[in-house]
Amino acid sequence: MSGTLQISSLWLLPLLLLPLAVYSGFRVLSGIARKEQGGEDRDWSVPQIEYEGGTTSPVHRWDVRFKLASFLLLAFLVVSLQHPQTALVALIMALFGYRVAAIPWRRGLKRLLGMAGFLSMFLLMLPLTAVRQSTDLVLVFGSIDWLSFNLRGLDLAMLIILRAATVALLMEPLLATAPLPVTLAGLTRMGVPRRLTELLLITHRYLYVFLHEARRMQIGMDVRGFRKSTSLATLRSVGNYVGMLFVRSFERTERVHAAMLARGYQGFWPQPISLHVTPADYLKACGVIGLGLLLVICDQFLVGRF
Amino acid sequence: MHISDGVLPTAVALGTSAVSAGILLWSLRRTPADDLPKVAVLTSAFFVASLIHLPFGPTSVHLLIPGLVGALLGPSAFLAIALGLVLQCLLFQFGGLTALGANLLMIGLPALLAGLVFYHFKGRTKKQRILVGALCGGGATFFSALILALLLASGGEDFIGVAKLALIAHIPVVLIEAGVSGMVISFLLKVKPELLDIPFVLKEKA
Repeated sequence: MSGTLQISSLWLLPLLLLPLAVYSGFRVLSGIARKEQGGEDRDWSVPQIEYEGGTTSPVHRWDVRFKLASFLLLAFLVVSLQHPQTALVALIMALFGYRVAAIPWRRGLKRLLGMAGFLSMFLLMLPLTAVRQSTDLVLVFGSIDWLSFNLRGLDLAMLIILRAATVALLMEPLLATAPLPVTLAGLTRMGVPRRLTELLLITHRYLYVFLHEARRMQIGMDVRGFRKSTSLATLRSVGNYVGMLFVRSFERTERVHAAMLARGYQGFWPQPISLHVTPADYLKACGVIGLGLLLVICDQFLVGRF
Repeated sequence: MHISDGVLPTAVALGTSAVSAGILLWSLRRTPADDLPKVAVLTSAFFVASLIHLPFGPTSVHLLIPGLVGALLGPSAFLAIALGLVLQCLLFQFGGLTALGANLLMIGLPALLAGLVFYHFKGRTKKQRILVGALCGGGATFFSALILALLLASGGEDFIGVAKLALIAHIPVVLIEAGVSGMVISFLLKVKPELLDIPFVLKEKA
């Protein structure tokens, strides 16, 4: 299908409503995600990379090194898919994998919402700004000739969204099926500098400490009548607030460091985690990577013929 | 704005990952081993600061603070930003797994540059330092937006419209970032000026 399709300018109306629909859909979904979590604070709710304990699944029992390597490779394979059809198949497979890992759905939903703002930019802009090629089907609205809706652009946007959603859904089975220290230990054994993974652990731990501190300072500002607005006064207050956060954190840094030295820190922590490889680990890795490769091959050869 | 998975061509994603990994190793080596835990703790504070939203007219923007991180940490800024971005990806899915390298270049390079500028143009008076701080904050954010637009445009000419939109959307962010950076520098000059004398990690050597 190619060419220009002349349609009534009335069709412009649903197009104008599209951003509104995207926005309200986002609000409804984030409302659901918040309700499940039971809080109201939007900016402050930082989810924990937590191990969903109590459940077990084939993904939970998978050796963390094999899991990391397979998922990372799979993520790169998924983002190199070139057709929405295969990307849709990848998404369905990711949903299946998510189900197998027995992780609550709201966590995946939150991840998808985290990307919603960025991805909606593509959904809204690409159909209008994609460069017109001879094989494109383009919708033109009556006599308005500066605006055209390129269906190839819409395809491209869908492809991007499907690829992003697939990788986002892979993240939960990757991270929530083992405690963070185990995941990081796996990364270390795979050759990531040990310092880097240990720093990540410290940062993750102190994140919640400073979050708590920031929230306390925020409450202090709120009871003194501080309301944010677009003004120089807000800018100054927030500047002082951020500056205070930094000063406190610098001071705490020194104390934390002294405490670590006092406990015999010599640059590295002991790593009591032991990992054992079983044949099942190899099998699972082969399965996951094989599926990814199969998708890429289908993408290259089959879909191209349609 | 963080680039999510599936936007960049695979070659660009892999290339930026390799370059970022190289700079990251350099940044790790430049940081004295004793100071590494300190950088990690500070990164948590920067992470929390980046969660602060400021209203701008009808919308709100969140702070990016690449300029401030660069000014406070010097060469370790790249390391700190890498830690922050990995956590943002792991926790919120802000910025995708395969786009980590691209995002790191986008925020980390301007931060390094801002650090360099901040320590080479100290100025004589407080006002001059505040001005340099504001310029570093705004400039680093603008540079980030430019890299973002370039990366988006690497997807082909279809993406040029999106790249332009992304660049325009960053104008309020640049303004707010410049304002807040100036204010933070002014606050630190009053409260703890020694933080701004030498980049944090080079303190021992000086």
